Amino acid sequence: MTNTTLDPRLGLPVVYLVDDEEVVRDALAWLLRSRRLLSEGFASADAFEAWLAEQTAPGRADWPQAPACLVLDMRMPGTSGLVLFERLADAGRLPLLPVIFLTGHGDVPTAVAAVKRGAFDFVEKPFSNNALVDRVEQALRASAAALHERQARHALHQRLAELTEREAEVMRLVIAGRPNKLIADDLCISVRTVEVHRARVFEKMNVKSAVELANLLQQAGAAAQDGPDGR
Amino acid sequence: MNTADVASLNRPPPSRLRRVLLWAALLALLGVAQTLLVTLTLKYESSRAQEAVESVAAAGAAEVRRELLRLMHALQALAWSEAPQPAWREGASELLRGRQELLRVEWRDASLTVLDAVDTPFVSDLFAVMPRAGLGADADSACNAARRASAPIFSGSYFVPMPGGRGLEVMDLCVPLQRAGREFGYLVASIALSTLLETALTASESRRHEFSFVEGDGTRLARAGVPRGAGVYVAERVVDLPGTALQLRTDSAAGHPSLIPNLATALVLGLSLALFSVVLLLARDQRRRAQAEVALAEALAFRKAMEDSLSTGLRARDLQGRISYVNPAFCAMVGFTQEELRSPRVKVPVVPPYWPPEFTDEYLRRQEMRLEGAGRRVPEARDAREGFETVFMRKNGERFPVMIYEAPLVDSQGRHTGWMSAVLDLSAQRRVEELSRQQQDRLQATARLATVGEMASLLSHELNQPLSAIASYATGSINLIDAPDASTPEMLRQALERIAEQAERAGRVIKSVHDFVRRREQLHETTTAAALIEAVLPLARLQARKSGTRIEVDLPAPPARPPRTRCDRTMVEQVLLNLTRNGIQAMETATPPAERVLTLRAHQAHPGWLTFSVIDAGPGIAPEVAARLFTPFFTTRAEGMGLGLSLCRTVIEQHGGALDFGPGPGGRGTEFRFTLPVPKGQETGETSGSSIAA
Repeated sequence: MTNTTLDPRLGLPVVYLVDDEEVVRDALAWLLRSRRLLSEGFASADAFEAWLAEQTAPGRADWPQAPACLVLDMRMPGTSGLVLFERLADAGRLPLLPVIFLTGHGDVPTAVAAVKRGAFDFVEKPFSNNALVDRVEQALRASAAALHERQARHALHQRLAELTEREAEVMRLVIAGRPNKLIADDLCISVRTVEVHRARVFEKMNVKSAVELANLLQQAGAAAQDGPDGR
Repeated sequence: MNTADVASLNRPPPSRLRRVLLWAALLALLGVAQTLLVTLTLKYESSRAQEAVESVAAAGAAEVRRELLRLMHALQALAWSEAPQPAWREGASELLRGRQELLRVEWRDASLTVLDAVDTPFVSDLFAVMPRAGLGADADSACNAARRASAPIFSGSYFVPMPGGRGLEVMDLCVPLQRAGREFGYLVASIALSTLLETALTASESRRHEFSFVEGDGTRLARAGVPRGAGVYVAERVVDLPGTALQLRTDSAAGHPSLIPNLATALVLGLSLALFSVVLLLARDQRRRAQAEVALAEALAFRKAMEDSLSTGLRARDLQGRISYVNPAFCAMVGFTQEELRSPRVKVPVVPPYWPPEFTDEYLRRQEMRLEGAGRRVPEARDAREGFETVFMRKNGERFPVMIYEAPLVDSQGRHTGWMSAVLDLSAQRRVEELSRQQQDRLQATARLATVGEMASLLSHELNQPLSAIASYATGSINLIDAPDASTPEMLRQALERIAEQAERAGRVIKSVHDFVRRREQLHETTTAAALIEAVLPLARLQARKSGTRIEVDLPAPPARPPRTRCDRTMVEQVLLNLTRNGIQAMETATPPAERVLTLRAHQAHPGWLTFSVIDAGPGIAPEVAARLFTPFFTTRAEGMGLGLSLCRTVIEQHGGALDFGPGPGGRGTEFRFTLPVPKGQETGETSGSSIAA
C-alpha cells in the first residue's frame, strides 16, 4: 500500500507521535514505517510544543509544508494530551494538523468530547494496528486537502496582486454584472479600452468567463476572511 | 435517716471482757454501798442508844440529887423543931418510916457526942457486925465541915458490913443545929446508897438500865435496876452534893446493835433500788429499741429505694443456689416475677428458670465448684470483683449475655451463707459492639475490593504496553511481507527482535504476579466455613437490602463438627462476595421480590474437600452465556469489567479447588459451587448429606 492518494507535489507527509511510553512510540513508528509513512516521536506534550514553536517562528516558511498528523496519547505525565489539543485548537492548527487521540480504558467520554471540539478521531488502546494506520492516512489526506486549499489561495492572491489599478477597477465592475458599455461610461473611457482591460483580467486570473471569475473571487474572498494565512 | 445512723446500728457489740468488767464494777459498787449503809445504820443506832443512856444518866443523877436534897430539907425541918427528946424521936421515927433510904438519925451535941439515935425499922441488924462508933470518922469530918460552913454537909461513903457477908454502902449527912447564931448540936443521918438509888429511880428506867455509884477507880459502891448492864452503852454523871460528890454510872441493858435486821433492811432497800434502776433501764432500753426499730425501718426503706432504683440486677443466693432475694431490675431483666424466682425449699440442685436449658449442666457444675470452694474458706470479697460473663435466658426464651459480679454473704457470726450478685445486662453493649464490628468489616471489605480493583488496573496497564507493542510489530511485519522491498529482511529482523524483547517483558510481569500469588499462599490459614461466610455477610446484606433480597445461611447444625478449611481468607472472602453479588444482581429484574432468596451453604461432601454453594433464585444462565462465563472481560452487565468470575476461578484453582455452576435445586435459579481443601489431619470420614459437589 502506498500513499498514492496523496498529491506527491505536497511533499512527504509526516506523522508526529506524542506518547510517554517509549515502547509504544517505537512500535508505532516502526508500524508506520512498514506502511511507508514517516514519523517523528516526542516523549511529552511539552517536547512537541517546544519543537512546534521552533517551526512556526516568525520569518520561517509556513508550517507545515507537507501533510501532517498528530497521534496524541491522552494521558501523560506533565502536560496532558488534552491540554496540548486545546492549545492547538485555539491556535487554529487543527485543519492542517489533524489530531488522533490514543485513549486508555475509561477515557472514552473525554475522547468523544474532544472529537466534538474538532479532533480528527480517537483510537482506544489496545488498538487494532492497521486500523489506526488507516485513520492516520485519512487524517493525512485531510491535512493534504487543507494544504492544497492554502496553496490555491496563495496563488489567487498572487494573481490579484499582478492586476493594475484600472484592471482591478474594471474587474470589480464586471463582477458587479455591469455590461462593458456602462463600465465605459462609468470610467469615462471607451468601450474598446474596457474590452482590452477585461481580456487582460481574464488572462491574468486564468479564467474564461465573467461567471468563472466571480466564483473564484467569491472563494478567495471567503478564504481571505477565514484563513489566517490569507494576506 | 442518713447513713451515719445506719452505721451506728451496725456498731459491733462490746467485748465479753468489757461486759464482765462492767458487771463486776456494778456489783462492787452495790456491795460498797450496802456495807456503807449497814455501817452507817449501825453507827447511828449506837449513837442513838448512847444518847438515850446519857439522858437517862443525867435524869438519874438529877433525881438522886433531888432526893438527897429533899432528905436534907426534911432533916433541916426536923432540926428546926427544937422538940424535947421524946418528941424528937417521934419526928425522927416518922421520918425514918417515910424514907426507906434513911438508916439512922443521930442527935449529936456540939462535941459530936451522940445524944440520941433512932434506927430505921426496915433494917434490923445494921450495926450488928461493926458498932456505929467505929464508923463515925466520916460523920465526924462531915460535921466539922458543916460547922465551918454552917450548912449541911454530906460525908464520903463508907461500907457497913452486915452479918452473912452482906453490907451496905452508907453516906452520912450532917446538919448543924444552930440557935442564936451558934451551933449547939448536929443531926447526922445515915443514908443507904443502894436504897437511895432504888427509891430515886423510876421503874421504867431501872428495868432497862443498871444504875450504880462508882468510885473514881471504877469500884462499884451500890447498884440498882437490872442486875447487870451490857457494858456497851455506859454513861457516868457526877452528882454534886455539898461536901462530897457521887459518881452515878448508868449501864444500858441493850447490847451492840444486831447486824441481821439491819442487813435485811439494807438488802431490801438495795434490792428496791436495784429494781428501780432496772425498771429505769428497761424503760430506756425500750425507748432505744423503739428508736432503733424506726431507724431500721427507715434504713430498710432507704435500702429498698436504692435497690429499686438500680438498673443493675441484684440477686442473693444461699450456698445451695436457692434464690433468697432479687431486686426489680433483675426481674425486669429476666422477665420472671420475684415469686417465680424464689426457689422452692425442697429441690436441690436448684435450677433457676433463667438458665438456658442447654447450659444447665455447665452452670450446675460451676455452682458445685463454687460450693466446694466456699466450704474451705470464706472467700474474699475482692476475689469476685473481676466478675465473669455468662448467658441468661429471658422468659420469652431469648438468650442474652450478662456480666456477674459476686460477693460472699457473711452473717453476723462470720459464716459464709451465700452469694450476692450484681448482674449487668450486656446485650445492648453487645449490639453496639456488633454494629461497630459490622461497620469495620464493611470498611475492610470495601478496602479489599479497592485493592483488587487497583491491582487489576495496574496489571492490565503493565501488560498492555508490551502486548500492544508486539501487536504493532506483528502487524507491521505482515505489512512488509505483503509489499516487500530491499530493506524488508532487515526490518523484519528488527521487528522480531523487538517482539521477543516485549514478550520477555510481559513474561516478567506475569512472573511478578505469580510471585505475589505465591507469597499469598503462605498466608493460608485454617478457618471455619462459618467464619468465612460471616465475614462477607455484612457487605452482602448491604447489597441485598437494596433489592429486598433475603440471605439464608445453611451450615451444618451444631452437633456436627463445624466444617473447616485452609485458605487465604481475604481471597476466598472476595470470591464469596463476588458470587453473592452476582446472585443478588441476577434476581434484581426477573424475580418477584417475595422469591428473592440467596442461600449460602457450606458442607463437607468429601473427606478432603469442603463445598461452598451460592444459590440464587434468578432466571438461570442462558447456554450461550454459560459457554463464555469464565472468559476474562466477558460480562453481561454494562458497568461490569468481566473479570469477576474468571478471577474467582483463578483464586479457587490456586487453592487446589474447583469452581463451577449449574441450575439451582429444583431447576430454579443458579448454583455456583466451589471447593476448598480441608486442612491435613482434619479430614473426616463423613460423606453424608446431599452430594452436590462436582
